[in-house]
Amino acid sequence: MRLLLAEDDPMLGDGLRAGLRQLGFQVDWVRDGLAAERELVTGAYAAAVLDLGLPLKDGIDVLKTLRERRIMTPVLVLTARDAVPDRVRGLDLGADDYVIKPVDLHELGARLRSLVRRSHGQPCDTLTWGTVVLQPASRQVSLDGEIVPLSTREFDLLQALMINAGRVMSREQLEQHLYSWGLEVDSNTIEVHIHHLRKKLKPDLIQTVRGIGYMVQREDPSA
Amino acid sequence: MTLKMSAHSIQARLLALVLGLVTLVWLVAAGLTWLDAQHELDELLDSHLAQAAALLVVQQIETGRGGDDDVMPRDAPLLHKYAAKVAFQVFHEGRLVARSENVGTVPLSMELSGFSTVRQPDQTEWRVFATRGAENDVQVFVGEQTSSRDAILMAVLRGLLMPLLLAMPVLALVLWWAVRLGLRPLRLMGATIAARQPNAIEPLTLKGLPLEVQALVQALNGLFGRIGELIESERRFTADAAHELRTPIAAIRTQAQVALGSGPDEAGREHALRQTLAGCDRATRLVEQMLTLARLETAGTTQTGRVELGALARQVAAAMAPTALARGQALELDAGLACDVAGDEMLLGVLLRNLIDNALRYSPDGARVLLAVTHDAGAVVLAVHDSGPGLNDEQMARLGERFYRVLGSDQPGSGLGWSIIRRIAQVHGAALQVRRSALLGGLEVTLRCPTRGSDPTGA
Repeated sequence: MRLLLAEDDPMLGDGLRAGLRQLGFQVDWVRDGLAAERELVTGAYAAAVLDLGLPLKDGIDVLKTLRERRIMTPVLVLTARDAVPDRVRGLDLGADDYVIKPVDLHELGARLRSLVRRSHGQPCDTLTWGTVVLQPASRQVSLDGEIVPLSTREFDLLQALMINAGRVMSREQLEQHLYSWGLEVDSNTIEVHIHHLRKKLKPDLIQTVRGIGYMVQREDPSA
Repeated sequence: MTLKMSAHSIQARLLALVLGLVTLVWLVAAGLTWLDAQHELDELLDSHLAQAAALLVVQQIETGRGGDDDVMPRDAPLLHKYAAKVAFQVFHEGRLVARSENVGTVPLSMELSGFSTVRQPDQTEWRVFATRGAENDVQVFVGEQTSSRDAILMAVLRGLLMPLLLAMPVLALVLWWAVRLGLRPLRLMGATIAARQPNAIEPLTLKGLPLEVQALVQALNGLFGRIGELIESERRFTADAAHELRTPIAAIRTQAQVALGSGPDEAGREHALRQTLAGCDRATRLVEQMLTLARLETAGTTQTGRVELGALARQVAAAMAPTALARGQALELDAGLACDVAGDEMLLGVLLRNLIDNALRYSPDGARVLLAVTHDAGAVVLAVHDSGPGLNDEQMARLGERFYRVLGSDQPGSGLGWSIIRRIAQVHGAALQVRRSALLGGLEVTLRCPTRGSDPTGA
């Protein structure tokens, strides 16, 4: 899952990026409000962690611009501003969650997963397709109750597809989900991972829509 | 409502004062009237005595010429009960020839001519007028009991004092009410202030208040204003401090958690642990700076002694030189002689440390920082030049805003240094100026400290 982290404090930003990466997120880090806005309008992120006291453009204004432009990326506001009016304003302006610093990394991860899930209309953390069960928190996938070991990329790819079950995902979209900045993507990487996933789990789990992309159906038609 | 006779009650004091004065004036008036009445009364009654005596002399001369040789004196009857208070005696050639019934045969007075006041054997006091006839053989005494005069005077005095006695309680009551009414604005104000919440510091309204109370209320409002500023400054500081402490603490917590969760990634763990330590140092520095500032906020002016600014600058610069050298920065000092200023050595040291720290911190590796302490137009001027990137106008304007940090600097500053510098300069009555350094191209900060009796602005 690819996240945008907007935090101007170098030490906290560095820590959050490292910590969220440990939790299996792909994290891109920007340090000012304008950069955050520029990145978020691309719509490439599953969610954003937004500090409010950002230089150049305040987080609140970034949020306002995003929502005005109908960009619905879930935004978790992470801030030191704890006054109730600030919180109310943040939530009213379109923040999906409002967390006061300091925050536990695991809690932050869980909140982000919850935001992403809800934004896809999924009620609980676990994603299932027939007997394939994906648990984002523990980053485990099981088939018929047996845990299937997957690489990080394979897991991320499957998660992106299962969260968007019933929707066709283009290769570019999937790449955006998988890679944060500075990572080179081979042109056929996605195909390779899809191939491995089909082999490790079920051949008909991921369907190819020729010329468009890939899709996981909402339910296993054979089940 | 009871009358409180406390020394602190304006009402009781006013009441006692007014009633006392009224009584005194009344008594003096009564005394003067009494004296006047006594004088007039004596004059009138004495003239009556003299008149009566003259009448008797004339009459005795007439009867004497008649030449009859009466042996027995004639006793004049008492025609009215009041007549007992007046009496006369007529002697002819040493013989008592006529008298009123209520006196004896002994002459009323030893004084044979004019007025005298004598006590009679029956202990009554008499005013007596004595005179001799023209031919020296007639001696007349006319007397009057003095008690009758006293009775008249007492009646006059009673007429004067009785109304006072009767009026006193009424006057006291009316005065008490009037004073109470007069003091009502004070009481109302007291009640208003008493009913206030402890944190209510908005000014009291002056509308409808008497002039005397307005002065008090204005003074109070001034005090409320100052307290309000203090509370607001405290509140803002607490809010800012809470806000600013959260970020370093969040960083420490996050880095510690990253270190814990880094698994086999040794390099990652070490980086996170180092960041955790750096975060602790940063939080410590922030807390120290905040405490310094908090102490300064409440400080008034401190001019505790003479400080040799050049020597102090040398001392502080020496302590910071290792940090500068580690980054290849050149820290130079050019101090004049006897640059004494009035001030607090500890505070000026903090100011110098912050100034030098800022210059070093925000200048790149290998930069030059120059300190100069000189005399200029009756002031000691400290200038800190650096060859760093300097500041644009907007940044200069925001300098000293609490927790403001210049954008794009990765230096872990607290954003409080400037607030501290400004406050210390203010406490010392020193003028602070920031501009582009003509010498090194970066920032130049000058602190102009007044020497004794000079103007800090140098104007």
